[in-house]
Amino acid sequence: MSVNSLARLGTANAYDSTLRNLQTRQSDLSKLQESLTSGKKINRPSDDPTGAAQAERALNRIARIATDQRALESQRNAIASAESTLGDVTETLQNIRELVVSAGNGTHTAAERATIAAQINGLRDRVLSLSNAKDSNGLPLFAALGSALSPFVGPAATQPDYSFDGLPGQSSTDVYAIPFTLDGESAFMHQPARDGVFNVTVGNLTSPGNSIPTTRGLLTDNIAVTNTAVVANTAALAAATAGAPDYPTYTVTFTTVDSTTTPGTTAVTYEITETPAVTSGVNPIFAGAASYKTGETAKIAITGIPGLSFNITGTPPASDKAAGATVVGSPAVGDVITVAPRRSVFSVIDTAINDIGKAANANAVTQAVAQALHNIDKSMARVSAIRGQAGDLLVRADSITTTNSKRNVEQEGNRSRAEDLDMIQGISDFNNQQTGFQAALQSYAQVQKLSLFNFIG
Amino acid sequence: MGILTIGTQALQANLVALQTAGNNIANVNTPGYSRQQVIMQTIEGQFSGAGYIGKGVSVETIRRNFDAFLTRQSAVAGSVQASDAIRAEFLAKLGDVFQGGAQGLGAAINDMMNAFSDVASAPTDMTARTVLLTRVDEAARRMTAEPQRLDEIQNGVTLQLQENADTINTLASNIADVNQQIARALGSGQPPNDLLDRRDQLLRDLNRLVQTSQVPADDGTVGVFIGGSQALVLGGAAATVTVAVDDFADTLKNKLAIVRNGVSVTLDENALGGGEVSGLLKFQNTDLVEARSLLGRITVAVTESINAQHRLGLDLDGNVGGNLFSATQFTAANVLVPVAPAQVNTGTNAVAGALRIGISDASRFAASDYDVRFTTGTTGLITRRSDGVVTDFSFAPGDGVSVPGVFSFRQAGDPVAGPFTGSAIDGLALGADVTTAPAAGDRFLLKPFSTASNAVNREFSTPRALAVGSPIAVSLTPTNLGSLAVSSLQAKTLATTSAAPIGNYTISFTVTATGTTYNILDSTATSVATGNYTSGKPVDFLPAGAPGFSLTLTGAPKQGDSLSIKQNNFANLSGGNAQAMMNLRDVTMFDGAALTDGYASMIGTIGIRSQSANYSAEVSSNIAVNAEKNRTSISGVNLDEEASRLLQYQQAYQASAKMIQIAQSIFDTLMAGLSR
Repeated sequence: MSVNSLARLGTANAYDSTLRNLQTRQSDLSKLQESLTSGKKINRPSDDPTGAAQAERALNRIARIATDQRALESQRNAIASAESTLGDVTETLQNIRELVVSAGNGTHTAAERATIAAQINGLRDRVLSLSNAKDSNGLPLFAALGSALSPFVGPAATQPDYSFDGLPGQSSTDVYAIPFTLDGESAFMHQPARDGVFNVTVGNLTSPGNSIPTTRGLLTDNIAVTNTAVVANTAALAAATAGAPDYPTYTVTFTTVDSTTTPGTTAVTYEITETPAVTSGVNPIFAGAASYKTGETAKIAITGIPGLSFNITGTPPASDKAAGATVVGSPAVGDVITVAPRRSVFSVIDTAINDIGKAANANAVTQAVAQALHNIDKSMARVSAIRGQAGDLLVRADSITTTNSKRNVEQEGNRSRAEDLDMIQGISDFNNQQTGFQAALQSYAQVQKLSLFNFIG
Repeated sequence: MGILTIGTQALQANLVALQTAGNNIANVNTPGYSRQQVIMQTIEGQFSGAGYIGKGVSVETIRRNFDAFLTRQSAVAGSVQASDAIRAEFLAKLGDVFQGGAQGLGAAINDMMNAFSDVASAPTDMTARTVLLTRVDEAARRMTAEPQRLDEIQNGVTLQLQENADTINTLASNIADVNQQIARALGSGQPPNDLLDRRDQLLRDLNRLVQTSQVPADDGTVGVFIGGSQALVLGGAAATVTVAVDDFADTLKNKLAIVRNGVSVTLDENALGGGEVSGLLKFQNTDLVEARSLLGRITVAVTESINAQHRLGLDLDGNVGGNLFSATQFTAANVLVPVAPAQVNTGTNAVAGALRIGISDASRFAASDYDVRFTTGTTGLITRRSDGVVTDFSFAPGDGVSVPGVFSFRQAGDPVAGPFTGSAIDGLALGADVTTAPAAGDRFLLKPFSTASNAVNREFSTPRALAVGSPIAVSLTPTNLGSLAVSSLQAKTLATTSAAPIGNYTISFTVTATGTTYNILDSTATSVATGNYTSGKPVDFLPAGAPGFSLTLTGAPKQGDSLSIKQNNFANLSGGNAQAMMNLRDVTMFDGAALTDGYASMIGTIGIRSQSANYSAEVSSNIAVNAEKNRTSISGVNLDEEASRLLQYQQAYQASAKMIQIAQSIFDTLMAGLSR
């Protein structure tokens, strides 16, 4: 420009360049107007390529967060309904427990017990249907890592009576997601080694109905798992041998009862049979002996079952106490105690229904009620444990929601910083440009009036 | 007598001056007009005893106010400005294609990827599946539509190039004509001012189209040269220019060629300097090609990775998934060879399409074309055009019957003299026809992406056929004591068909004081892989020739814990593959950017080009304006100046007239005196 400062001006060129300047001003003004109306400082990527790319990335993130949150809502719904379903299950199990307790009332007749069993039966159906509950999308709530539409099937005629038609295990929570399903296998199915749920029944091979005669008593306490590893190994062996029922059934059969060899002491012998015979392949797997004071209550600890132990309590008939009576004692030859795993909460309830409903006498009822209560408590503990997990997941979902909304605000801020117009600055710039444009127009008009021709002629 | 003659001459001279000023005023707005000025000179005086007595004035010449340097500077600045402006204009159009926000291709792709989430939440929900398919269709349409918009831009460029070439030819022949006229007119001894102005204006117009250099000849003509040294006009003869193709007859590129005496010479656009043609060629041959490559790459990479993952899934009926998008087809249009007049290939079957491009890894693509040049029949160099990186390759020709030719590439770690170990370059595997045996010097141009994305379709519209189910499943052993939980399980390297499912694998964990290791056992309890377990880190198992998997676990296992992996019997209720699809969002794919962000960086790349072109256009426009201002300060008409000249010459004219009047009155006085 310095070259031109003293030089002459071409009139046409002066017009042209003034016009060009006016056009530039006008186009600047129109750009500002576009920014003001759209509220964006970047209206095309070339305005600020880095900002445009940043804004685009932020938009992607925002859409992603919305997607994550939407999926999370769906997951939260599923887990919340699973949690409340488990609450219903617990309540139902509580009802069953109360019924079982009431069945133990000695004044009940067999018919009354059958009625109670029928009531429990109805509740069992409810537990089963709750366990197969579905979420709003029709997917099973307790599908674990994947399952059939109704994961819990049963009862079947043969063992295992109930099975989990799915893939056991729990999905983990991710950074921005929780699982859709809970591990139903863990909630409703029982593992011998993990849960130790066994049902013990007592009977006699020779008496009518194979039940212990009403005159004497023979009860057991609950099974205690003494060695988890042995139980697990045995379970694995059983599964390998016979397939699905993965823990053998054990029977303890009393073979001899001798109260004469040693006066005042009754010696009993028993054999333990394993079906299928997986531990050594030879039955009986264990032959045991015990003794107790003749005429007294027999306390026999059974430790011959791999990994398990329990105690037998034999109450002699009242007639034994009569003077000069022949002491019969309890147990007697032919008494059989069966220890069978219960592989699911349904199976536990079914056993209670069966054993209580069909109990021939008070001894059988007592045994059945005790076993049922113990096992139902264990089942409830499992359900509660999983329900606790569901609660944890819901808490996690809440915290993810908070995180998501924070991330959203953050990304929205990034986007805004990158592409939104600062309105105050925008309006101020616009006013500046407008004033400038006005001044340019006015000066153009003024200057163009100046011509020597105006002063001559 | 002298005074009357002097008066008459003065009257005439000042009239000429008034006419010239009038002519200047008349042409004040005529483009290219140079201000004219009357040069007067005194007529040599007559010697007398009293010295020389002036004999009046005469007009020596009408001078054109003109500065050769400023005129040329203005023309060249205008040329550069035209080049930059048109490139900026077309880049702005290109920028409109690559819009960000909800309307962009990026949003279409991301919406589609996010739609998998709803299907993962509800695999059996037909609505979610239908929405997903609609999103897929939408993305496919965008991927098809965007290249079409680029085609439209390309058509605009090609048309304008043709028009410009025609205009150049007209201008060149006009300049040749004017050259001849000037040569003839100069014979008269006076400069033909208007012809010279006309030629300067023609040259200026020509320079807006293509930058020229001029060499004046002795006869007053100028030689006009383009592309450095190619003569467009010599004296009265003009050559013609045509829009030509490059060595590979690439339909997406053009060159300017000059035809002189029947010989066509193709000009390199970088040697053209300024001018609209140069701007258009630069836009078409670099900017548009890059945009096409970027678009082609995002299309091929996204569709191929989605297809690959979709083929790993099972649909609602338990069938293995097919392609979700139409598969990328590399055809003869993607592999070009030189065509005459360029040096053509001499090898056996070294024809267009003889090389085969295959996809080796969709996440490693570079947005570029490649030059393949054979230095011998079995070795050569491949050049990535985007950044000029050269890679060695060796070539094993096919057997002519059934075995195709195979390329292998030198990789980063390969010793200079050792064998070539790379099977792919930038995610592309190269092969050749069974009979192809190139000779030394043979060249191929690979265009994997710049012509790729022309037709992308959604392959099916049945919601049931969406393969979102995982073909494999994991189950934890219920007796596990640790806190293992499954984060994700993904099928890999497939061919999982229902007929050939994945084998059964068991993974067992060993916990020692030094850490936790896993051991993968096959169905015969044979250990096939071991490794250190880290919570949250994927366990990848990719057996050769058999389906593999990638399993991510969290939590800490206890000694003896195990899990098993087998075919998924519950695939219809599983959204595992939809989850795997969603995981693709974070796969690094576009020069290190995640799939999700690929489009954002593309916007950035095009935006930067557009921004810098705008900047150049602004700068060169300012330069051009100043140069023109400088030129017009010499050559332009200033009305005020002309007004004062009018007054000046008018007064001189009046004075001259007065002089004649005085001569008359002297004469009259004389006559009256004599008559007395």
